[in-house]
Amino acid sequence: MEFLQWVEQLSFSTWVRESGSVMGYAFILTMHTIGLALLVGISFAVDLRLLGFGKEAAIGPYERYFPIMWVGFWVNAISGVILLMADATTKMINPVFYVKMIFIFLAVWNVRIAQRKLRAGIESPALAWISIFLWIGATTAGRLMAYIGPVAGLE
Amino acid sequence: MDTSFIDPFARWIQTTELSFVMKDNQWLWAGCETIHFLGLALMVGAIGVLDLRMLGVAKQIPLRPLHRLVPWGILGFAMNLVTGIMFYAADAMQYSHNIAFQFKMLFVGLAGLNVLYFYATGLSHRIEELGPGADAPLSAKIVAATSLIMWFGVMYWGRMLPFIGTAF
Repeated sequence: MEFLQWVEQLSFSTWVRESGSVMGYAFILTMHTIGLALLVGISFAVDLRLLGFGKEAAIGPYERYFPIMWVGFWVNAISGVILLMADATTKMINPVFYVKMIFIFLAVWNVRIAQRKLRAGIESPALAWISIFLWIGATTAGRLMAYIGPVAGLE
Repeated sequence: MDTSFIDPFARWIQTTELSFVMKDNQWLWAGCETIHFLGLALMVGAIGVLDLRMLGVAKQIPLRPLHRLVPWGILGFAMNLVTGIMFYAADAMQYSHNIAFQFKMLFVGLAGLNVLYFYATGLSHRIEELGPGADAPLSAKIVAATSLIMWFGVMYWGRMLPFIGTAF
């Protein structure tokens, strides 16, 4: 807890949380939403193809979308760490946060497997279902962090 | 922006059952927010892969199968329209006079006009003929870029809603 308090009191964390700057909390939150749209959104689109929508197209070239998904992932990893720093003492003791992290870990792992299979020209509808389930779980847990347990952020 | 023309409607919707249910039920609100984010991802994902292809990403994919995803984008939009109306009903006056909300609606409207242009001019049919490796015409690229800019703009204004102006 002392460590979390230290992180939260860093001048950077405090600035993100309290400055009210256009580059502060609201902007980082916007980046987190844009990253979600890129990663989860394109993931959903690839899942739909794996489930047979537009299956007249060969699966291989869909691999070209994955670098954009990875951009989304890194945007969210970075913005997520910053949001976590700003509210370390509340978020780190919120069980929903850990549920979210588990969903994201599994979902990202699944994306890596899907990418490897696509490269090899293998289509797996099962991976698509798993992906949809995990991303719905991750997004739901992320949203519920604002409602369950110790709630941080601007009210 | 002077949006007082909407006030009678905003005042009316605040007297509806929907408005009270949304205001009084935090879990309904949280559920709607979750659906709003999933709808956002579904729409931007399904439409985004088509836009990106028109702009030259994943060029080996023919256009027709990507165009088939548009109904999924519409589903995502519908999810967000329904949940969006529910949020609005709860606090219509506040939203109506929030500058971020006004810009969000403006961007949604412009994105809608862009879609209208895409279908009304027959561009949607022409791009369906594009096979693997084919370059989309300039008009399609402009539509695609406009779409991406507008929807990312919508996300920006949506996220800014609680932070700008007379919010909550």
